[in-house]
This record gives sequence, C-alpha cells and structure tokens, in this order.
Amino acid sequence: MLGLIALLLAGCSTDDTLLSDWPDTPRGNFEALWNIMDRRYCFFDRKDVDWDEIHRIYGARISDDMTREELFDICAQMLDELRDGHVNLVSGFNTSAYREWWSDYPENFSLRVIQEHYFNYNYRQTSGMLYGFLPQNVGYIYYSTFSQPVGEGNLDNILAWLATADGLIIDVRNNGGGELTNVETLVARFIDRPTLVGYISHKTGPGHSDFSKPFEIIYRPAPEGRQRWGKPIIVLANRSTFSAANNFVAVMKHLPQVRIAGATTGGGAGVPFSSELPCGWSVRMSSAPMLDALGQSTEEGVEPSAGCEASIPPGTTDCDPILDLAVSLLTGQSEKL
Amino acid sequence: MRSASFLSFPRLFGVILLLLLAGYATLFAQEKAARPVISSYTLGVGSAHVADTYLTPLRYHGTAWRFDYRRLQAGPFAPERITSKADVSLSLEKTHNPAGNATMWDAMIGIDWGLMRRWRPLPSLALAVGGEIAVSGGAFYNTRNGNNPVSAKASATVGLTGLAVFDFRIGRLPARLIYQPSIPVAGAFFSPEYGQLYYEIYLGERKNLAHCAWWGNYFALDHLLALDLRFGARSLRLGYQGKIYSTHVNHILTRSFTHLFVIGFTTEWLAVNPRKHSSLRLINAF
Repeated sequence: MLGLIALLLAGCSTDDTLLSDWPDTPRGNFEALWNIMDRRYCFFDRKDVDWDEIHRIYGARISDDMTREELFDICAQMLDELRDGHVNLVSGFNTSAYREWWSDYPENFSLRVIQEHYFNYNYRQTSGMLYGFLPQNVGYIYYSTFSQPVGEGNLDNILAWLATADGLIIDVRNNGGGELTNVETLVARFIDRPTLVGYISHKTGPGHSDFSKPFEIIYRPAPEGRQRWGKPIIVLANRSTFSAANNFVAVMKHLPQVRIAGATTGGGAGVPFSSELPCGWSVRMSSAPMLDALGQSTEEGVEPSAGCEASIPPGTTDCDPILDLAVSLLTGQSEKL
Repeated sequence: MRSASFLSFPRLFGVILLLLLAGYATLFAQEKAARPVISSYTLGVGSAHVADTYLTPLRYHGTAWRFDYRRLQAGPFAPERITSKADVSLSLEKTHNPAGNATMWDAMIGIDWGLMRRWRPLPSLALAVGGEIAVSGGAFYNTRNGNNPVSAKASATVGLTGLAVFDFRIGRLPARLIYQPSIPVAGAFFSPEYGQLYYEIYLGERKNLAHCAWWGNYFALDHLLALDLRFGARSLRLGYQGKIYSTHVNHILTRSFTHLFVIGFTTEWLAVNPRKHSSLRLINAF
C-alpha cells in the first residue's frame, strides 16, 4: 500500500506548481523570488521586461556571504525593474516599493486647503468619507481610501444630505486603493441599470502569456429604497489615485453623467497576489489584469476627461484649482463641460 | 485527447454508485433483523504537513486536531454478509512556514457512507471490503496573504473502503484490533484556476471550477489503526489515524499529511421495541 502511494505521489510532477525546497540562503531566496515573479506576475509583456535578462544581471550580484540587508536591497532593485506600484517585498526591517509612479509627478492635492479654505472646518465625516456643501450648492465627498468599508446606510445618509445639490464632486486624490467591493458599493449609487464596467482576467498557468479570456464585470444598481444619484458628477483624481481608486475612476469615466478632472491617475490595474520566500519575507505582485469598459488596460493610469485637465501650481496654499475647475464645470461657469 | 485510463474512471464511478443504490433500494425488501450499532467517538492530535501552491510555494508544518464519529452496523440488506458504515469527521490544522512567521489554518469536514461485503476466515478475524460515497469541504487560510488568503476545498467521491477486525485477549481483558482504510477512486472536486481570484468567482466567473477526480489528480487515503480495550458494551479506543490528501490540477498542488494519536470510546447498542419484537435475531456488524 505504501509503495503504491509513493508511486502515485511521485507520479504527480510538481514542476509546474512552484512547490519547491529552496534553501534559506541568499541564492535560495533570490531564486525563489525570481521564480515566483516569473510564474505569477502578469505584466511582463506589457512592460516589455526581459525577465531572463533580469535574472542574469541581478543573479550575478548574489553571494552566499552577503547580509540579509544586502540581499533585500538587490531583490528590491530587481523588482523595481517592473515599474509597478503593486510589487512589494516585505521583510521585518523594510518594505520595498517602486515609488516613481507618483514621486515624479506633482502632488496636486492638499486636504488641509480644502478643510480650511472651502469648508472652514465645517464638514461632516462618516464611513471614511468627508462630505459637505460647497457655497455654489455643489456637494463634495472626499474618500481617502477604499480600504475603509463603505456602509450602505452611511451612503444613504450622505446622498440624502446632499440631495438638494446641483452636482456632486467625488474626490479620490491621494486614494491609494483598497477593496474592489467598495468600488462596486459606491458605483451602484450612480447607475440605474446593470452596467458593464470593465473586464478581469487571470493567469491560467505559469507562462508569461497564459491568461484567461477577459470576463465581463457587470455592476448592478443599488436596490430600490437606497439613495441614488443621477445628477452630474465630477471625479477628482491625481497621480496618487491608485489601484482600486484607479479602477473607480476608470469605471466612473464611462458613466454618462460623469467627468474626470485633475491629472492622470497612478494606474495599478493588476489585482495583486501574495507569496513568500524561504526566509519569511512576503512578496506581492500584480497577477490579475483588469481592463476598463472599452477593454483597455489602465495599468499606466486613467486620463482626465477632455478639457478637464488641471493641476495645482507649486506653492499654492489657499486654493485648489482642480476643485475650482470642478465647481465651475458643474455650475455651468466653465465652457469646458 | 483523453487517455484510456481516464475513461475507465467514470465507468468505475458508475458501477460503484449503482451497486450502492441497488443495495439501498432493497433496504425494506429484506427481513428485519436486530442489528446492533457500534459507535465510536474519537479525538485525535498529532502532526500536520501542508502545502498549497495557490497560497504559498512553501511547505508548512504544525499541529492537527480531529474529531471522528464512526458507525458500523450489519447491512440493511443481507445483514449476514454486509456491513454498513457511516463516518463524520471534523479536522483542524494549524501550521507554520519554515521561517515561523506565517500561519496557515486548515479546517475540513467530511461525511461518508458505505457498504462492505464481509468474511470471517477465522473465528477471531473479520474482513470486509466495499464501496463508499463521500463528501468533504473546507478551506486552507493563510493569514498573511492579501487577495489570495483562502484556498477552498470541496469534493464528492466514490471510493473503496475496508475493515479488518481481530479479537484477542490481553490477560483476561477482551481486546479488539481494528484497521479501517478509505480511498476515494473517482468523483468531482473544486479548484479555481492557477491565478484565479475568488473575487472573480464572486463576480460570476465560474467556469472550470469543477474537475473530474481520478488518481492522477486527486488522491486521498484515510486510515485508522485502533486498539479497543473492551469493558462490557463499552470500549476504550487508542490508536493511530493517518490521512493523505493530494490534489494536482490547474498547476496548483495541494498536499496535506496528518499523523494523529487518537483516543476515544466505543459503544455497542441496540434500539428495540419489546412490544413489536418478542424474539430477536441479533446480527453483528462483523
């Protein structure tokens, strides 16, 4: 019996499954990281990265007498070659992150300016959202992270409170993402029928081109009895609008009553997977690509709607030109809408 | 292209299922007999060795706990030759990665029912072999993962099961040695695709989630070796219980090996209505 079992288990080749016994050495951990990325990462072709060449370059820098810190730095540099904000190596002493996707761009946002100069600190807050009326009878919601769950009851209260406004501004600048289910919960208030909002696919095998056919993502409107919003909406975005927030902007951009204002978002259109190395470091990488409603990737970001590009000049401390543009677009004072 | 061996398993699946159903259909067509039930309740604790490449490429090791209820009885038909069995198991495993800084939990429930043909080659030895149907479900949960923290497991199978019972004495104390293995042969089981998110399943992407199970992609063995120290109608049960669970589909490998020391008790009981049965013909499970 035991012989039969051994034969059966031995017959199940594990070559394609990544189960391995890499030693907990600098070389073993490097090989584990390279192989995990090789089989799980989804944007090699899109980013035109020769991963084998990357192995040759960085593998030559690995030695068995290097410290953990030295190994971490080399591994982090290797991961930076992917130019992906969703790729992180996490150890007990550091977390690597590719930062150029936002650090090379103007910030275009100051929450303090809005709190002070637009609301005089008189605003409401609930469920991770700051909201209130701007003087031009425009509703304003600032949502800082999609990691904060959006309560249905909270949304009812917010939209009921703002119901008399002529238009709504949803500000997701500096929103680094979070849960995609929160995107659906929020968007469901702005649609009145099942709506195709994008596509998602996943890897079907370890090859760089092994992907499933993109699957339609259809959002359904919030059920009857819930507060919905059908009036014009401006979504404010900047380069630090990333991941689930990037997805929110991509979804909202294709709704008929919505315009996107500000700057191109930061992207992050690959839903990340987690894995780990023998030394205990964890690694996260883009694994399941998401597309917008037109079937286009937004990995490099979502551009503002035509005529809605704006930025905040350096040194500006008492106004928000992006917010001002949105107000003028909603109140008809701008010809750009 | 499907291989010849693959084709034989659905056929085998059908044959075993038909035999079980045919047996059950004759349940009430047979003469009633008093069939005592042997029930055992055991708790097990031991080691667990787990791998699930949907969650991590590393092997995890730790502790396993398990509760089992097992029931044996002479069959509902041909009770002189047939033994029926039913098992319910609940298991929990807590394992850690090699570095010891990540935890994976594995919780499973399993239910199976089967019929066995039995023989008594010696007065003190009973042997039985038969088929069973089984369902199981549960999940592996890796606490450090973000969007892929869970690997759900579910299966429905038909398989082979057996029983060997040897009665003897330790001094003046009656004792019984029992070996009870079960091996699924064919069926269906759940697995997402290689990099599929459960979020996609939530969205409605549910193609290719069910897979035909055969020994090339699904192998499991659950076996118990126990010593019953008999005190009248009750016994103290001590033993070893091992389980092997291995699946390999969509480039995802799952393996779980557990080795448990079990302790529990066994009772033998019979429900009788004396107003309906003035005389009884007792037929034991083995």
